[in-house]
Amino acid sequence: MENKHNNHINSMYMRESLLDKKVMAIGEETPTFKMLPHVHIVKVGASSFIDKGREVTYPIVDKLREILKNEKLVISTGGGARSKHLFSVGLDLGMPTGVLAQLAGEDALGNAHILGTLLSPEGVIAIPPESIGHLLPLFLQAAPGVVYAGMPPYSIWEHPSKKGNIPSHRTDAGAVILAETFGFKSVTLVKDVDGLYDKDPKQNKEAKFFDKISVNELEKMNLRTLPFNRVLIDILKNNKSCNSFQVVNGNSPELIEASVNGEHVGTIVHNHRYG
Amino acid sequence: MIEQLTKSLLEKNLEDPSLLEETSLLKPKKLLPNAHVIKIGGQSFIDRGKKVVFPLIEEVKENLSKHKMIIGTGAGTRARHAYSVGVDQGMPTGVLGLLGTFVSLQNAKMLHYLLAENGIPYIEPGGFSQLPLYLEERGAAIFFGMPPYTYWQRNPEIGKIPPYRTDTGCYLISETYGTKSMIYVKDEKGLYTNDPKKDKNAKFIPKITAEELVARDLDDVVVERAVIEMMMNAKNGRQIQIINGMERGNLTKALNGEHVGTIITA
Repeated sequence: MENKHNNHINSMYMRESLLDKKVMAIGEETPTFKMLPHVHIVKVGASSFIDKGREVTYPIVDKLREILKNEKLVISTGGGARSKHLFSVGLDLGMPTGVLAQLAGEDALGNAHILGTLLSPEGVIAIPPESIGHLLPLFLQAAPGVVYAGMPPYSIWEHPSKKGNIPSHRTDAGAVILAETFGFKSVTLVKDVDGLYDKDPKQNKEAKFFDKISVNELEKMNLRTLPFNRVLIDILKNNKSCNSFQVVNGNSPELIEASVNGEHVGTIVHNHRYG
Repeated sequence: MIEQLTKSLLEKNLEDPSLLEETSLLKPKKLLPNAHVIKIGGQSFIDRGKKVVFPLIEEVKENLSKHKMIIGTGAGTRARHAYSVGVDQGMPTGVLGLLGTFVSLQNAKMLHYLLAENGIPYIEPGGFSQLPLYLEERGAAIFFGMPPYTYWQRNPEIGKIPPYRTDTGCYLISETYGTKSMIYVKDEKGLYTNDPKKDKNAKFIPKITAEELVARDLDDVVVERAVIEMMMNAKNGRQIQIINGMERGNLTKALNGEHVGTIITA
């Protein structure tokens, strides 16, 4: 039996196995074009803020309004408590991880609409998940920012989790991957803690705070809890454009503005290309 | 049980190992336990034209009344061209993934037209809710193999080519739906110690575990590395088979559970 065929178009990957490590490395050093290098992404935790009501959400929204006067923002949010409840009911009914990922997108969309409603006077709206991709540059020419449902569109194509059945690519991961693709200037994850500790600071008063840490160190420490999606460790390692993200405490909304302005006000997690 | 899990989910950090352990006690239901996912290669198969594609299509038709087949397509040489042009033009991995998707889509539609007279639909990622109906009524459906990650395609460890391509997209459908098998139709019998197209001394490997495969750290492998890694975390898809679709009868044998190529288990 013939083992080769010649029906190819001439190109540098022609006839090559894309699984060959030597072939994969072609183009490694070619610079990547940055689509939106002046745009910042800010992810607002839903459990930490939106679910807790207007007392904690409105000050953040007010701060976002101020930032939007000078900066272009992509704002994302997650599913919060409803997604957690969904995971419980879904798992009990035997739903696989991919289905949980698919359905959790709806909770995030609901929360995106809450933020979009509050930011409407600024021209900032919640855009549907299918429009966020290729239409993003257009939206950001027309408005100072957009809100989107932060779950990446992994849906039934979500990867099986290393442990348990909860989808591993959630809204923090979605923000960092999008930042890499579009070449955003910064990524800020707004949480209800100051940043990363070696133990959960809400349960351990002696927990040690890290103001800056590399993904390699973070991987070695194998911390029990993290204030962001664990899969970010793997993602950030391979990033070439978005080489860090900052976790800040949204209970002090001015920290969001400081982070967007490039100040170090929380925990910076970075890879080996950072700096 | 459900009350306890809700309480844990609401109170604990979603990365807390004790919570994840709790969630792993609930085994997902196999949604389509009698269906098979078949991935038909692009470069290795469809690009060769009717000489190899028509006999395989005939074999698919013969099995329509016997098996439920979810058929995904690879991309192939046009994707390689697109990646090549795209990398040179400075496209990020997320955009390269889109370019590969378009090629995989063309291949899916061509197979769909070849099976049109048998009433076999082509479905888009948003159309998977209709999949069970099509399988029940017609016995098969065709989709493009690329996972629809679009701008959320993660970077690879080396280079820029999207690491999650059509092998992975098809595998994940078999994992999520809990299908009976995952069959990769290629132009080689399966896994060899090296690329058999380049190395005549390459030895055939009929069966291997994902762990062994990772440990061997081969320069070249027959399915995307991501599939091997995911298999080790899988809840359902712990076995895949790679078969040579250019040999008539192999697909039917694989659908019947026979070992005709390389079986990888985890």
